[in-house]
Amino acid sequence: MEKLLEILKGIRPDVDFANETALIDDGILDSFDVVSIISELDDEYDVQIRINELDPENFNSAEAIWKMVQELKK
Amino acid sequence: MAFFKYNNIKVAGVACAVPKNIILTETYKSLFGDEEVEKFMEMTGVRSSHRTLEHQTCSDLGFRAASELLAHKGVKPEEIGAVIFSSHSPDYRRPATAFVLQYRLGIPKEAVCYDISLGCSSLVVGMQTVASIMNTGDIQKALLFVGDTAGKSVYPEDRSSAMLFGEAGAVMLLEKTDDPKDEINALVRSDGSGYRYMIVPGGGYRNLHASEDVVMCEDGNPRTLMNSFIQGTSVFTFTIFDVPHLIKDFFTQTETTPDQYDCFAFHQANLYILKQIAKKTKIDFDRMPITLDRYGNTSGASAIVSLCDKYGNSNENKTIKVMACGFGIGISLGATSFEINTADILPIFEDDTIFEDGLITDPNQLYEKK
Repeated sequence: MEKLLEILKGIRPDVDFANETALIDDGILDSFDVVSIISELDDEYDVQIRINELDPENFNSAEAIWKMVQELKK
Repeated sequence: MAFFKYNNIKVAGVACAVPKNIILTETYKSLFGDEEVEKFMEMTGVRSSHRTLEHQTCSDLGFRAASELLAHKGVKPEEIGAVIFSSHSPDYRRPATAFVLQYRLGIPKEAVCYDISLGCSSLVVGMQTVASIMNTGDIQKALLFVGDTAGKSVYPEDRSSAMLFGEAGAVMLLEKTDDPKDEINALVRSDGSGYRYMIVPGGGYRNLHASEDVVMCEDGNPRTLMNSFIQGTSVFTFTIFDVPHLIKDFFTQTETTPDQYDCFAFHQANLYILKQIAKKTKIDFDRMPITLDRYGNTSGASAIVSLCDKYGNSNENKTIKVMACGFGIGISLGATSFEINTADILPIFEDDTIFEDGLITDPNQLYEKK
């Protein structure tokens, strides 16, 4: 999880990923941020999130992203 | 697996032309706001692009490029046995633009001419097609035209596309040789499940007379059915995963490694995508010429535009090994490799000439005796 927070900070240093829980719903992240996150998750965790699997709720918080990664790695 | 290997065929030269009219990306700030335009320029790398005049077409630009290339190579039009125009920007709904170019260039009736309907992958798939017909026929020299005027189908206030595209026409001369070391490889893939990701939904025969009413789309951009739709996130994920996979497979198939190539002439989709692809495939980004900053995303012409930009004004006379990669609408993607002498890579020409005889604005023009 710490590594994930580090990755997210690298993409959007201005966002408090540790505490935000509505990253998508509140429009904090835009589509470009999401794509950047998807690419970084592929590099770090070898998980490929395809567009038809892309549920915005999975990107609302760092915890949700972490859960999604764990599910995809199973 | 659509992998192709051709011997005794070489890329004898490339050339391209762009329109003279330059649009600075920052001029969109009045339309889209400073922050959005700055972020766009940072992410895509597009700071300016060249756009055609109203009746200027990709084939006009290709015609100039081909005229220059044939003159440079000392090749007569009657030596050309095939004219293939690989593009989504034809002069007419029909006939194929290849015939117009054949006529304008004075290429004889014995030549085979047709269009291939492709966008950003048009160079790679076009090379595979031309090399195949040369390989199985008696054609000694062929011209492959690529490029698009994609900006013409973009709704001017569509922030997802309005700033991205530049316009260009490019040509490649392919020749049969006696040297088996002359080799072209091609790996091509297609994914029709993504046909909606990049599309102009109206104007084809499924909806020929589509409404041209402007609709505010769910992504917040206004468009009509006759405009280009690009689902950016879908396209991004495809390029980030499938294109690196294709490139790695190409290295495996050709038993080559990235360090064996002098130049990676890749489709100039946008800067972020190219950096991601380079990172994921361990390609040296410094060997990937970038023209997005001055020419934008010039669709299927972009790999040749980048070659011409890097080597066109060089006085060197050396053979370089090139890997080209194209990916986009379809979804279609592919990679090729070939060698070319830098002396046969021409500089980028700027041209606003229009084929006036080809502009039919009154049906009765078609009945005039010439």
